[in-house]
Amino acid sequence: MKAQSKLYFYLIISAVLLVIIAVLSLNTGVYDFGENSPFRALWQFIKGDPHLSLSDKYVIWDVRAARIIMAILVGSMLSVSGTSLQGLFKNPLATGDLIGLTSGATLLAAIAIVLGGHFKEYLPEAVQFSLVGIAAFIGSFLSMMLVYRISTSGGKTNVVMMLLTGVAITAIGFSITGFLIYISKDEQLRDLTFWNLGSLAAATWTKNIILAIVTIIAYIILLPKGKALNAMMLGEKDAQHLGINVERLKKQIIIIVALMVGSCVAFSGTIGFVGLIVPYILRLLFKSNYAFILPLSAMCGSILLLTADTFSRSIVAPSELPIGILTALMGGPIFIAILVKFKKSL
Amino acid sequence: MIKAHQINYKHKEFRILDGVDVSLEYGEFLAIVGPNGAGKSSLLSVLADEVKSGNNKVLFKDKPIREWNIRELSKHKAKFSQHNSNDIPLEVKDVIMMGRYPYFDAQPGKEDLEAMNNMMYETDIFHLKEREYNTLSGGEKQRVHLSRVMAQLENNITHKLVFLDEPLNNLDIKHQYKALEIIKNFTKKANSAIVVLHDLNLAAQFADKILLMKSGQVSAYGTPQEVFTEENISNAYNFPCTICGHPITNNPMIIFG
Repeated sequence: MKAQSKLYFYLIISAVLLVIIAVLSLNTGVYDFGENSPFRALWQFIKGDPHLSLSDKYVIWDVRAARIIMAILVGSMLSVSGTSLQGLFKNPLATGDLIGLTSGATLLAAIAIVLGGHFKEYLPEAVQFSLVGIAAFIGSFLSMMLVYRISTSGGKTNVVMMLLTGVAITAIGFSITGFLIYISKDEQLRDLTFWNLGSLAAATWTKNIILAIVTIIAYIILLPKGKALNAMMLGEKDAQHLGINVERLKKQIIIIVALMVGSCVAFSGTIGFVGLIVPYILRLLFKSNYAFILPLSAMCGSILLLTADTFSRSIVAPSELPIGILTALMGGPIFIAILVKFKKSL
Repeated sequence: MIKAHQINYKHKEFRILDGVDVSLEYGEFLAIVGPNGAGKSSLLSVLADEVKSGNNKVLFKDKPIREWNIRELSKHKAKFSQHNSNDIPLEVKDVIMMGRYPYFDAQPGKEDLEAMNNMMYETDIFHLKEREYNTLSGGEKQRVHLSRVMAQLENNITHKLVFLDEPLNNLDIKHQYKALEIIKNFTKKANSAIVVLHDLNLAAQFADKILLMKSGQVSAYGTPQEVFTEENISNAYNFPCTICGHPITNNPMIIFG
């Protein structure tokens, strides 16, 4: 009982923090609202006030609000996918980018951009998104299957194999993406560069709706799995004795994580390390209790990515810094910290 | 309770179990003994339905164990494994609470906390409640898992079954007796237990039935008096021994050498 109210307490605290950061982020930017303030503009938009100027409306709703929502959704999904993978592989180093899911998704997304370009213009907007999105999902799913097959046997994960498979997939992805960049036209080149660096600048409400649907489906299935992931720490056989259908759990995690990573990559490119940073910090507070860190990583992932995005577009304003630089700056040292700790425990 | 007929289990052409029959009644304490590599743990795995290959048919409460709903089954039987994970970055009480996972969805109820606390008292680890599991000694970890497994079967269902694979590893003498007493008390309530043991004298004192195994086959089965004869034991272990009566309980006592 006490433990549960503690979880709600932290969830509420992080939700409040997220709202505060969202408000600050809404107020941050180069565009000058003049007499108007960003908040009043948003309020006017919600009320449907006819006095709101078109450019004010565009900046507040289609640029800033859309981008904030996208940061919240993508950050949350990346971090939950990392936490779930760590539960599945029983290791704090398992994240979508380190084991190659992101590269796999980027690779197929890049193929879809370059080769799909031949017939893309005949398709409606929603299908264009889905083309890249579906390709990214397939890419992350195939990488996931490959990593899982290679690195686990008899319910035990070989961490070195897991990470090395990730390195191999990343290398393949890098070379083929490089080749695609080499042969692609200017227009596609811009798209590809964007995918490689990762950015939330291309946020639109259509994308947000698709992302929101994916998030809701994924969370309905994944978030109640905290107990099951805890039990997995005992080993798969013992988890089974505790009444957990281990085979179904593994399939669900593999498919849902591939779906989440795929859709994040399709809409925002490769934003690294979020799935590593957030669970690492939560583990410092709650040990490895997935009943806590799984729901909390959904919140804290949003906080992290929204903060990073707000910084990335305000540090060097009016230009902006690729967000991947900021997340890697935080993630790299944490990666090393986990490795050092890991070395001691071996 | 549990019945299995002609269990065979092969690993890469090597016969680990060869035509083993097991049958256990309600309220029985069955000890599986035998030399290293006799197939004791494999037999336990097959009975607990951990081995997915092969078509061994195990009947649990007159129903094939594979046809049971997995969550329902976990309230009727539990298993203590020989190799418990060394790396579980959680507090001791969280590990024991896992035994109650079949009973609650989001938050543990009052009976779950009670079951957890009771078992911690019985196995003498209540003082370690808030400690991190990874900092415990081998014997303490063993007791944590014993509490977890026994807490899993704390419910109103009649005729439950617990499998224990060498539960006494790393335990000091006091806790060996305590662990066996917990299992004995469990079987006194019409529940059953199948326990792999190495200490024949403890098996003779606590078990109702003994299954002596040698190279994947049953070499003797029956009460301790029936199984523990000089001939049976010397044959199975290839080591001489003498049997005499226990001065207090009059159960067989085995002296080696």
